[in-house]
Amino acid sequence: MAIAAANPTYRLPARRRTELGLIVLAVMLTGGLYMLASLGKAGSLPANIGPFLGIICALLLVAHLGMRKLAPYADPILLPTAALLNGVGYVFIARLDHHLAGLQALWTAIGIGAFLLTLFLVRHARDLERYRYIFALLGIGLLLMPLLPVVGTNINGARLWIRLGGVTFQPGELAKIALAIFFASYMVERGELLAKGTLRIGRFMVLDPKYIAPVLVAWGLSLMIFLFENDLGSSFLFFALFIGMLWVSTGRHAYLGLGAVLFTVGATFALKVIGHAQSRIHSWLNPWTLYDTPGGGYQTIQGWFAMAAGGVFGDGPGRGSPQRIPAAATDFIFAAISEELGLLGGAAILAAYMLMVGTGLRIAVRCERDFEKLLATGLSLILAVQTFVIIGGVTRLIPLTGVTLPFISYGGSSLIANYILLALLLRISNDSATPVAAAATDMTVLS
Amino acid sequence: MNRQIRVVGIGVIVMFLVLFGQLNYVQVVRATGLDHNRLNTRLALAKFTTKRGDINSADGVILAHSQPTSDSFKYQRTYPTNDLFGQVTGYFSFTYGLEGAERTFDADLTGANAPFQLPKSLKDLTVKQDRSQTVTLTLSNKLQQLAKTQLGSRKGAVVALDPSTGAILALWSNPSFDPNPLAAHDQTQVRSYWQAQNANTDQPLLAASFRRRFFPGSTFKMITASAVFDKRPDLATKAYPQLPALPLPQTGGQVLRNFGGEVCGGPLPDLFRVSCNSGFAAIGLDLGAQALADEATGFGFDQRLPIDLPEAAQSLFPAASTFAHDLPGLAKSAIGQQNVQAVPLGMALVAAGIANGGVIMKPHILAQVADSQGQVVRTYQPSPWLTATSAQTATQMTQLMTTVVQSGTGTAARIPGIDVAGKTGTAQTGNNTIHAWFVCFAPAIQPKVAVAVLVENQPEGGEATGGVIAAPIAKAVLQAALQGP
Repeated sequence: MAIAAANPTYRLPARRRTELGLIVLAVMLTGGLYMLASLGKAGSLPANIGPFLGIICALLLVAHLGMRKLAPYADPILLPTAALLNGVGYVFIARLDHHLAGLQALWTAIGIGAFLLTLFLVRHARDLERYRYIFALLGIGLLLMPLLPVVGTNINGARLWIRLGGVTFQPGELAKIALAIFFASYMVERGELLAKGTLRIGRFMVLDPKYIAPVLVAWGLSLMIFLFENDLGSSFLFFALFIGMLWVSTGRHAYLGLGAVLFTVGATFALKVIGHAQSRIHSWLNPWTLYDTPGGGYQTIQGWFAMAAGGVFGDGPGRGSPQRIPAAATDFIFAAISEELGLLGGAAILAAYMLMVGTGLRIAVRCERDFEKLLATGLSLILAVQTFVIIGGVTRLIPLTGVTLPFISYGGSSLIANYILLALLLRISNDSATPVAAAATDMTVLS
Repeated sequence: MNRQIRVVGIGVIVMFLVLFGQLNYVQVVRATGLDHNRLNTRLALAKFTTKRGDINSADGVILAHSQPTSDSFKYQRTYPTNDLFGQVTGYFSFTYGLEGAERTFDADLTGANAPFQLPKSLKDLTVKQDRSQTVTLTLSNKLQQLAKTQLGSRKGAVVALDPSTGAILALWSNPSFDPNPLAAHDQTQVRSYWQAQNANTDQPLLAASFRRRFFPGSTFKMITASAVFDKRPDLATKAYPQLPALPLPQTGGQVLRNFGGEVCGGPLPDLFRVSCNSGFAAIGLDLGAQALADEATGFGFDQRLPIDLPEAAQSLFPAASTFAHDLPGLAKSAIGQQNVQAVPLGMALVAAGIANGGVIMKPHILAQVADSQGQVVRTYQPSPWLTATSAQTATQMTQLMTTVVQSGTGTAARIPGIDVAGKTGTAQTGNNTIHAWFVCFAPAIQPKVAVAVLVENQPEGGEATGGVIAAPIAKAVLQAALQGP
């Protein structure tokens, strides 16, 4: 302790220096890819390569300096990985649609602003625990916001957007985080009860209906999103998050079983009743016969054609035809990347996500307090499930649902929400990695 | 809780491995099948967005060119000479594929068969290299244009070639088609032009010059006469009786009339000069079916014409066995009627074989291929196709054909100062029209050009003969060809 006190920042330079090095690597990869894409498409280096590199260096330098100041002991891998994914996404958006690229650059800047603001406002993850009902209300409010008249907007048949002025926003992206905070805090508080709430009926131990109620509420809410907003992906993500966190916090397999049963019931109900869900399943199972049907297999098959054209090594950045895939810059951006970077590039993207999710779960394991543990798990789960749902949908492993590919797809709400998610994970990591002495100094300074 | 989190971690790994497996399934296992799927236009589009070299005429006129565009095809193929070379260049159509030289020399034009070149700049590494190559044809724009003008609005074909190499100099048939609308990017326009061409009963897409057959009429007498020298030299001096018509055997009184009912006869040179039907029909009967059929095969009948253009037709002479009980048929076949059919290019090759000492060279339109820097990478090497007859017979045939132009049926093809060797043909079609033919080469000694002219379906009548209608066209083409480029 004496040694730590004498040199309270002994771990700081190492972790942050690692982060800086990795950020430089991410910038180099992004810049190289940007130049290659332009060379491949137009045969010349991009005219704006100077300002481009200047802006990403400046943005990431600000984020890194913010980290040094606000979360010096946090994990060094998450921010550079996110920066790399964000950069790769930007290059492909720029390659597909010049106009969207300009907007995405703006959203990235706002996202990094939100990242720093979150780190600044949330000095300790445990502070969040206190506001659990505010977060619950916030989450549900955000989820239901698109249903409001006037501001609520339908895009591509799903009612997920609100329009304020000229800007559309998808509040559901932020709702996931708010609800993850609420779930973590609620489940930690009620953990004992949720874990032990059983009744003996004859020879069987079953869950006390009292403790099933929250599960039913979550289920109802997710069905509602599905029914009224037509958003299969978010609905599944939300329910999987809840059941996953419940299981992690209690360790009771019964919740997984209950979740599976409710999911099956919900899915069957949806399939029987809702045309939107039916058409999704049909175009998943028979994309070839529904090729020409509006909303049928055309998009999936164009995605497949693109990925097949790329093969193992890809067509090369800027040299494919990803503009032929509908929604190539948003939901189907993974098919565009797989076309030009090939199986190897696609696998690298998967590896980057695994690295982020794995890092998130490792942060969770290292936490001492249950709330942070559960929150870090929940946030990692959001990343993992969302990535799986959209890549699985694009590759036709599972039915296609329109969710964004974190950090890569075009979209302001998604980018901002993911940077906030990242900030929270880093905040939790910083909390658990801060040496006791440094924490004490920190507290002295603050108080 | 840590135990559950680790299980979640394993679950995530499994999920991502499944995704990786699915990537392999799509990008490796199914890739080739998906690339060639009927609904997948990527490969086709890749072909259509690749720069394609020009096709030039021998005298340096651009016949096909790729113009950069801003649409998704990136290039628009244009044919500046419109219908003049339509049947030669063919078309490069997204809807209907490739035709003509565009098809035969596809790999040359795209550079797919070009030797690998080390990249010379950064651009070569990242952008698809310009591997396109220019194809130069042996055809001359000047001669082609002359053939078109000479034939005018009449249906028919004009073929000119160099007998010593087989290089095609002109290959015109009327009607032709304009490849531009077929290479258009507006597929509605493409389809409507295509349908119009197919609805046209004159079949512009089926070039009369090398894809269609006609009765050769008296031009076939070149082969009958050649058969005399090759198989029965004794018949060359036999004097055939002076007759207005030849009574046909096995018919009970049918006769084969001479043109215009005139009386003719005598030895072979006289029969050939005035194109005497009764005399040649009698020669045919004397020669027999086997000798005549063998000679026809020797001159390239019943074989696909080996020109470097897709789907060339073959001239037809019936098998010898079919005449076993059909002597009238044999008599009619000896003068190019009945079931004998010839492709205009095939008749030009008959003349070319005689002109070239009995050896028919492979007809070809390719002169050379050059890379985008103008460096010649491939030059066509002439090669013989058939040895139709002996050099001696060829000399004797040349003499016969020269008298046709000097003082026979083909005087309209006379060129002052140059000996022209030729043979007329006036083939009856059976519907009161005739096909007017003239097949020739010049000069008689060391020939430089052979020409076949066909004018289809001319109204029957005294003046409607190959010598009157077709010979002047052939003369104009010969003169222009002998003048040089």
